[in-house]
Amino acid sequence: MSPMPRGGYLSDRAVLYVPLFLLLLVFSAVVIALPYDTVYVRDRAFLSAFLVSIVLCVAVFVVGTVSNMLVWMQGAGLRGTPERRLVRASMVVARTVLSRRFVKVVTVLLGDALYLSRLKGRSVSRWFMHLMILGGFVLMFMLDLLVTLSLDILRYGPMIEEGGWAKLWLRDFGFDLVGLMMLVGLCIAGVRRFLLRPTMLRTEIPDAASIVFLLAVVLGGFVLEGMGIAGSIPGHTSDVEYSFVGYAFSLLMPESAGEWYDVAWLMHGVMSALLIAYIPFSKLFHMISTPIAIELDGLVSAREVGRR
Amino acid sequence: MRLDISKLDVRALMRFDACMRCGECTTTCPTGGEAQQVELVTPRGKILRLRGYIRDQMGLRARLLGPRDIPEEGMRELASRAYECTICGQCASVCPAHLDTIEMWENMREFLVANGLGPLEAHGQLVKSIENYDNPWMQPRTQRSRWARHVGGDVKVPDSLKERHDVLYFVGCTAAYDPNIRAMAVNTARVLSRAGMDYGTLGNQEACCGSTLLRTGLRENARAMAEKNIANFERADPSMIVTSCAGCYKTLRQDYPRLGTLRPRVVHITDLVDGLLRDGRLALRKGFERRVAFHDPCHLGRHNGLYEEPRRILEMIDGLRLVEMERNREEARCCGAGGGVKTAFAELADDISVMRVRDAEAVGAEVLTTSCPFCYQSLKAAIESSGSKLVMMDLMELVWSACDPSPDEGRRGF
Repeated sequence: MSPMPRGGYLSDRAVLYVPLFLLLLVFSAVVIALPYDTVYVRDRAFLSAFLVSIVLCVAVFVVGTVSNMLVWMQGAGLRGTPERRLVRASMVVARTVLSRRFVKVVTVLLGDALYLSRLKGRSVSRWFMHLMILGGFVLMFMLDLLVTLSLDILRYGPMIEEGGWAKLWLRDFGFDLVGLMMLVGLCIAGVRRFLLRPTMLRTEIPDAASIVFLLAVVLGGFVLEGMGIAGSIPGHTSDVEYSFVGYAFSLLMPESAGEWYDVAWLMHGVMSALLIAYIPFSKLFHMISTPIAIELDGLVSAREVGRR
Repeated sequence: MRLDISKLDVRALMRFDACMRCGECTTTCPTGGEAQQVELVTPRGKILRLRGYIRDQMGLRARLLGPRDIPEEGMRELASRAYECTICGQCASVCPAHLDTIEMWENMREFLVANGLGPLEAHGQLVKSIENYDNPWMQPRTQRSRWARHVGGDVKVPDSLKERHDVLYFVGCTAAYDPNIRAMAVNTARVLSRAGMDYGTLGNQEACCGSTLLRTGLRENARAMAEKNIANFERADPSMIVTSCAGCYKTLRQDYPRLGTLRPRVVHITDLVDGLLRDGRLALRKGFERRVAFHDPCHLGRHNGLYEEPRRILEMIDGLRLVEMERNREEARCCGAGGGVKTAFAELADDISVMRVRDAEAVGAEVLTTSCPFCYQSLKAAIESSGSKLVMMDLMELVWSACDPSPDEGRRGF
């Protein structure tokens, strides 16, 4: 039988879960409230289904991430319940990031966590592969945020209008470029893992699943774009060469592919949302934990007594 | 079984999740990758096994549906394999995620001890000996300073507990007790005297630094040894502690400040001698016409960043040709003796030592030198067992020979 909770049981947990719940609530409200006037999908029911899936998947992502972090917080070195430890640790992180050490934080993040300086020294091909996948993923995420902000909040004309510079260079060319980066990286990873099979690789379901999942999302995006161009869906009717990869895919598709555009759009959207939900439960979680560990080792010197 | 993870450091738990499973560490790991090809011995193998168990016990699924029972056999296998690691730190230097694996493995062993899975039976005798005799070699305390009788000449090794000396030479158990290694202490004392250093030792009052205990996960036992030594350091009141043992150096320099308060500066003899030579306080007059390879002890190199100091010393010896093994400095192959591996898995340690000897032979070295008693011991044994023509020499032996001593003085004590 589990022991009776001690005093402060609820407050110990509320300090973490209440703000987290409120944060998720605000996120959901924002996601649902945005107008999405410029979204390419024609059937609003499909849009609603996607929005529900993204809200749910982000919630799963947050719960999974926090759950992993709570495991970390059960280790030695901090006091209080894991929830209180996590809140305190987050405060310290926030204070450090917003302090004079900001430049160091960014330098360590860019050099060691994103650019993977050490891996480059060991193998240029492995470094290139990882840089393409991680760089593509990070840029895709940033571009997504920028485009959503420009379209649905700022209502920035050149991002909306056909022929607008932002639409052509960011929405069309930009997304294709970062998608292609990921595709190249994933193809190298796939060839390495499934064909070349160097002894250092250990291929189990989580390793294969991560590559297949990412590949499905990236390829799905290009197929979707190809369908849009082939079927002349609004937003895909002029200057289509800017979406150079999607355009190449469109050449392989019949015009009738456009009829399935909404279904493909929803499938791609839900797959992307599921990928987000999958991160904390997969090897992809290192995208979050590795930069944190690198930052901590780069910034916290207390344990490094005497180390040169 | 249920795991008690309260001894695992927050950062270690975080690093388990930060492992990218890339396998960079598996190819260079001397015990798991190179000598045995056993995944569970490699950093990735250990991390994935333990991370899986921890998640089974306290991950999201465990929170929602209840924890899974951790198979005791699996944990025992992990524990045994974890002790096959020499904690050389090679994995730390190749990890793209910059994981401080040295700290992780030491911490993992503390966790294994807390869960009744460590240290291994073979380590038990060392631990008992340290507790009963203040040294791991079952030797009486009264014999600790006996090595000093072999110094010879006009050199006297003063007792820092009787009169204050600016420098305290911390000899270390292996050089103090092992007759095959004591020349390391003898030559260090001679070099210090030749340089006119005002130094002394703790004599028979010196206790084991606790490195063996720390590396096998017995932090609390090590704390007791540290407190004993720190109390004597306070009494001796030196401004600097110099060690000739790379293991003692790491322990005093990195671990003691975490276990107690250590005021004097801790330096390794290579660092000190390098400075003395460059300042002109020590002169090397005699040449040494040999091709010499330097083996970087893990505790000196990867753990403390002392790579150039010993090389500069060697380059200052007339006629000596320093040849670099293919794997050197950060990439240097471990000798196989560290982390309690020599004690518990002697054959494995020997296999790795032989690999290192082959590294030196491959670059045409005639002499292999190092500045750690454990590396010296293992590599010398490997040279003999493999029938190699290499000659094993301690760095201070080379320095003392080059100081132009009387013909037989340099090798006295060997």
